[in-house]
Formats: sequence, structure tokens, C-alpha cells
Amino acid sequence: MRGKSLTTTESRPAHTARDRPEASVAPEQDPARLEAARKKAHRRRSSKNWSLFLLFAGPNILLILAFIYYPLAMNLYFSTLDWRLGAPRADSVGLANYQRFFTSPSGLEVWRVTGIFTAGAVLGSMILGLLIALVLNKKIPGRTFARTAVFSPYVLSGVGVALVWMFIFDPQRGALMFILDRLGIDSPQWFLDPDANLLMVIVVYVWKNLGYCAVVFLAGLQSIPSDLLESATIDRAGPIRRFFSIVLPLLTPTVFFLLVTNIIFSMTNAFDILRVMTPTGNGTNTIIFEIYLQSFGQFNRAGYSAAIAVVLFFTLFIITAVQLRFVERKVHYQ
Amino acid sequence: MKQSPINLSWKGIAVFSVAALAVTACGPDTNGGDGDDEASDADWSDVEPADSIVFATNHPGGSEDLEDELIERFTSETDIEVEVITSGANYEETSQWFQTGGGSNADVVVLSDATWFPNYLNDALIPVDDVLEAADIDVDGYVEALYEDYLYDGSHYGVPYARSTPLFYYNVDHYEEAGIDGPPETWEEVAETSQTLVDEDVAQFGYAFPPSDEYPAWGMANLVWGYGGAWSDEWDFSTVSSDETVEALEFAQSGVEDGWANVAATSQTDDFSSGVASQTIQSTGSLNGILDTAEFEVGTAFLPDGPAAEGETPTGGAGLMLASASSPEEQLAAAMFIGHMSSAESQAFFSEGTGYVPSHQDSDMSDVYAETPQFETAVDQLERARVQDYARVFLPGADLELATTLQSLLTTGDDVREEMERVEAEFESLYETDLADELED
Repeated sequence: MRGKSLTTTESRPAHTARDRPEASVAPEQDPARLEAARKKAHRRRSSKNWSLFLLFAGPNILLILAFIYYPLAMNLYFSTLDWRLGAPRADSVGLANYQRFFTSPSGLEVWRVTGIFTAGAVLGSMILGLLIALVLNKKIPGRTFARTAVFSPYVLSGVGVALVWMFIFDPQRGALMFILDRLGIDSPQWFLDPDANLLMVIVVYVWKNLGYCAVVFLAGLQSIPSDLLESATIDRAGPIRRFFSIVLPLLTPTVFFLLVTNIIFSMTNAFDILRVMTPTGNGTNTIIFEIYLQSFGQFNRAGYSAAIAVVLFFTLFIITAVQLRFVERKVHYQ
Repeated sequence: MKQSPINLSWKGIAVFSVAALAVTACGPDTNGGDGDDEASDADWSDVEPADSIVFATNHPGGSEDLEDELIERFTSETDIEVEVITSGANYEETSQWFQTGGGSNADVVVLSDATWFPNYLNDALIPVDDVLEAADIDVDGYVEALYEDYLYDGSHYGVPYARSTPLFYYNVDHYEEAGIDGPPETWEEVAETSQTLVDEDVAQFGYAFPPSDEYPAWGMANLVWGYGGAWSDEWDFSTVSSDETVEALEFAQSGVEDGWANVAATSQTDDFSSGVASQTIQSTGSLNGILDTAEFEVGTAFLPDGPAAEGETPTGGAGLMLASASSPEEQLAAAMFIGHMSSAESQAFFSEGTGYVPSHQDSDMSDVYAETPQFETAVDQLERARVQDYARVFLPGADLELATTLQSLLTTGDDVREEMERVEAEFESLYETDLADELED
């Protein structure tokens, strides 16, 4: 085909569009004009596309730049300063704030508390959420009400939840004290003992977050094909075997999703509960609370606090990236 | 039309440079500027007061209506308009708001005993001595210790406004039931009456100490001073681990160990009002709340004496400060305003409505005494008021360190001396890290 085509081309008269007399070529057939018109149309299309893009995406981009990337950049800059909150002057200290956070005993304590809180909150929410979802997936009377009741704490204000639970945990007048007293057990000093403090806020966070996990697990359970479970039942697989051999493997995308979101939420969204229930951070000084405490809770160290915020940002970034890179490989998608 | 890598990299560098400039331009000065305060050097004789000023307040003690009334009186007397800005729900929020630029147009701001000093360090406040004199405000009438709270480096940086002190509260019904005649006058007597109350099974605890979030370093300062100790002596922190301080805290610790005292789980006010504990020390500002909730007769008394000192009373609450960013005209008008708000008449009116103690010695409180006789103790006790230790109010983070340490000492039985030596080292570290350079400049 190529040879034939060449021959045809070579055998054509050696006129090109350029050296043809203009009068002999219709304007709509002139390649130069066509090219110019094509470019013009392309430019017009492109300009129109850009206009549309800016019209629809521009406001969002501006908002994102103004309220996410600009503060992020400012925070990165502040993290390199020895700066008291609101002071007109500051000293540039490079990475000293980061070094201090990673080497000071208080910084290490923050990591320890954050680790325990995150592990307790994530595992507690997910295990209990799955158990509740398994129950709510059955055809039981009042199922819709139960689902609503389980989910509702998730949308409640953290401050309100914390205040109610403070009454429950009050070792002198609280509801839990009353129950424990009936059982002949002394109430632990929930608000005074740092370990009890940490356990208390984990319990409250799990209670508030439980509904979210349960609803997402419920959606995952309902997407499992019923014929698989029926076949397993016919093959005499018991409920435990069915759960571990069919349900759990098919739930792994849901587990993975919840693992990622719960770790992020537990490290960032627990502030309201921590602030209300343990205002001085006694035993509950997680990284998000430390950011607040260093900047606003008496210390006024805006630069140091900004450095901890950057550490939190990259910690979450790395955790998410690692999970996406390695854990997702083990996820079983249908 | 492929773009050359050089063009791209230049554009990248340009964008990055612009972004970096934008970021650094909006931050604090890192070039060692001294931020001179021109307004404080004003020649007040040439200054005319401004027509209007801005007052930033968190309405301490729910005082919004009272403040409006006082402002109305001020405007009718001076023709100076006052715009009120609600700057937060509490003193901490107001200070954060002021520090982070929210209060850049405020001329007068309410700042507490523990939050004004960072604003002083930020050059955000002016000394008030000269401008108050220019505004014909007589400062001699203030309760001395309350005014001296704002004294630093030879100048005052505010006037007392919504002030409070700790007060000794006791349950009169419990006393009668246990056969106790009257309130204790010394800490030894506190221990004895508390033990009696517990032994007679009148209450679960004779006395309630505050938990870490109820400012225990403030409420327990009287105990420590009574034994001859202190949280600091100006910037000398050795007193926090002195024999006297350790002895005072060991006394408190033994009270919890022996069972006559407890550390309140949420607030000592709750434990006292609900009858769990028969006695406590809490702010005078809590008097109205306690009287409202307690279902028993409430008695008040002076803070107890210690073996080394009469029951000295730490000052607390908030004052009115003048912003350095305001013009001299606004500062003069603002000085007239803070003089009005802290006058004898205004303080009597404000105190009656809020429960704060009047900061002016000439305030007529007879109407309040007739209705709430317990309040008279709070006002009489001002004779024993003592300015707080630097460590608690000026050293960033020190109050929090004391609060968590005190709670831990009282609830765990840790070695007091060892812990207070650790606190002293922590104070030294906080001072070196956060203050030394600036204060020594």
C-alpha cells in the first residue's frame, strides 16, 4: 500500500497549495487557511473550555488555595520559627522545633498516648461496629429503629457527648458509680488517674464512632451475595465457619476503608471529647491535643505547635500511603 | 509547542518564590526588629480623647447587661461612644483572640491575671500610669494588691475590674450535726474539723481539694504561703521545692491519705454543693452558684492561717488593659473608660450583679451584704490579699505543670520533695526556653 501511495503522490503534478494561483483555489480548500481556521477554532474551543473550567472549578480552587494550601504553607513556615503566639517578632530556628518534639520526654509521651488511643479507638470501634452490624443485618423486630439508634451518636456534638459521659463517669454522683456500687465495686477515679482518664476517653470515642463503623459494615454485609452463604449452609458450614471463610474475606474492602478512615479520624477528630473531659490533658495528651496545648493552652508556642501539626500531617500521609501500597494488596475485591 | 525544561523550571522557581514571599510576608518579623511602641511615649497634655473606642470583653460572670448599663452611663457623661465586641467565652479565648490579631482594632481588652503577661511580652499593651494620670483617674482608691497584680518592671499594665479571691466555704448543717462551733482559723484546725466530720459520719469527706482543671495552684497558694513556701520568688524558682513548700504539700497529701480530705473528681464546687465534702476553698465568684445549688446553709470564712503566716489570699480574676496599637487619642479615651469601669460606684454595681469582689476600697456594698451576708467575708478578706507568685501567672505553662503535679501528688502519694524538685527543674527549663532571652534584653 505504501509503494502504491508513493507512486500516486509522485505522479501527481508538482503543484502545492502554496504555489497554486490563489484565484484557482476555493478559500475553503486552501490548506493554509484551513490550518489557520483550525487553529483559531482550537483556540476558541480551548478558550471556551478554560472559561468553563475557571467558571466551575475556579471558585473551588481559590477556596482550596486560600483555606487549605495557603494555611498549610504558612504552617510549614511557622514550624521553622521560635515564635510566641501573636508576637510581632520571631527567630528562625530551622528544624529545631522538630528535633525538640522527637527527642523531648514530653514528645515521646505524646507518641505513646497517641498510639494507645488510636489502637484502642480504631480496634474498639471496628470490632464492636462489626458485631453490631452482624446483628443489625438479621431480620429482627425494630431493626430500623435499632440502626438509627446505633448511628445517631456519630452525628451528635462531641462536646454534648462528652458532657453526658462526664456525668456517667462521675465517681461521686455518676450513673456508672451507681451501678458499680450496687455490685459492690468501688468506682475507679476516672478523672484523677491518668490511665483511667485514657481508658475513659477511649470508651467515649468508641461509643460515638461505633455507629459509623456499624453502618459501613452493614453496607458491606448486604453486598455479599446470599447464594454464597446459602451454598455454604447447604455444605454444612456453621455460622463461625461461614463468617471466617466467606463473610470476612468478602468484607476486606470495607475493613480496609474503615481502617484508613478510622486511624485518620481518631488522630484528628477526638479533640472535642478530650478537651471537655480532660481539659489539662492528664494522661490523654494525644498529638492533636498537644498541638492545642502548646499553642493555646498556656504555653503560647506557636512555632513549636506548628511543627507538631506538620508532624501529624506527614504521619497521616505516610500511614495512608503505606496502607494503600501494602495493605490494599491483601484486600479481596469481588 | 513543547515547552522547554528551562522555561518550566524558571516558571516553577518564579511561582515558588512568589509563594515563599507571600508566606514570609504574612508572618512575624524575623529580622530582629524591636517593635518600638510609639504611643506609650505620647505627650498626653497635647492629646484630645477620641470620640469612640472599642471594648473587647468576654462579659465576665455573665455581665453583658451590666456592662451595657455602665457603658451607657459613661457615654452620657463623656459623649464618647463605646463599641462592644464579645471576644470569647472566657479569659483564655479573649487572650487568644487578642494575640492572634482578632483584636487588632480593640482599644480596651479584658485580660486575666494569668493571660495579660504574654500580651505584655508581645508589646500589645501600654503602661497605664501616665495615661490614667492624664485622664484624671485616681488610682489610690484601688485595693492595693489588686492593682499591684498589673505591676511589672516599674509600670502598671491594667486596672482591676472583674476580680476574685479564693474563699473558705463550709456546710453549716454539717457543722451543727457534728457539733462543731465555727469555721477553722488554721490549717491544723481544718484537719481537725475535717476528721471530726468524717468520724461523725456527717460527710464522706471533711474537705475537698481542687482537681487539676480547677486551678489548684491558685486555690492552694494560701496553704503554701501559710507554711512559708511559695511557687516562686519573682524569677527565683527554688522556693517551689523549699522545705516550707514541701511541708505544706505533705500536709495536704496526708489529708487525702488519712481520709479526711479528697481531690474532687470534677470540681470541688460540685462536691461541696452536693454534700460529699463539708468544706472547700473556691473562688468568691462561685458564691452565687453555690448558694443557688446547695440545699443547706452555706457559711464563708477567711482562708486559714498557716504555722508561718496569717491566711494570705491570692488575688485572681481579670483587669482592663489598653492596646498599644491604638492611637494616643483612643488610648486617652480608653483610659477614661477604664477609670469609669473601675470606679467605686461602677465596681459596687458590677460586684452586686456578678459576685466579683469590688476592686475599689470606697465601693458601698451594704445592699449586697444585707441580701448575701456571706459576701462580706469575701470583701473583708481583701485586706489579706497578696499578689500572686510570678511562676503561676507569668511563666508560660507553669500553672499547668503545677496543676497536674499537685493532683498527682495528692492522689498517688508520690514523694513530694522529689516531685517538686522536678517541677523546679521544669520551671527553669520553661524560663530558659520561653522567657530568658526577652526579659534579659
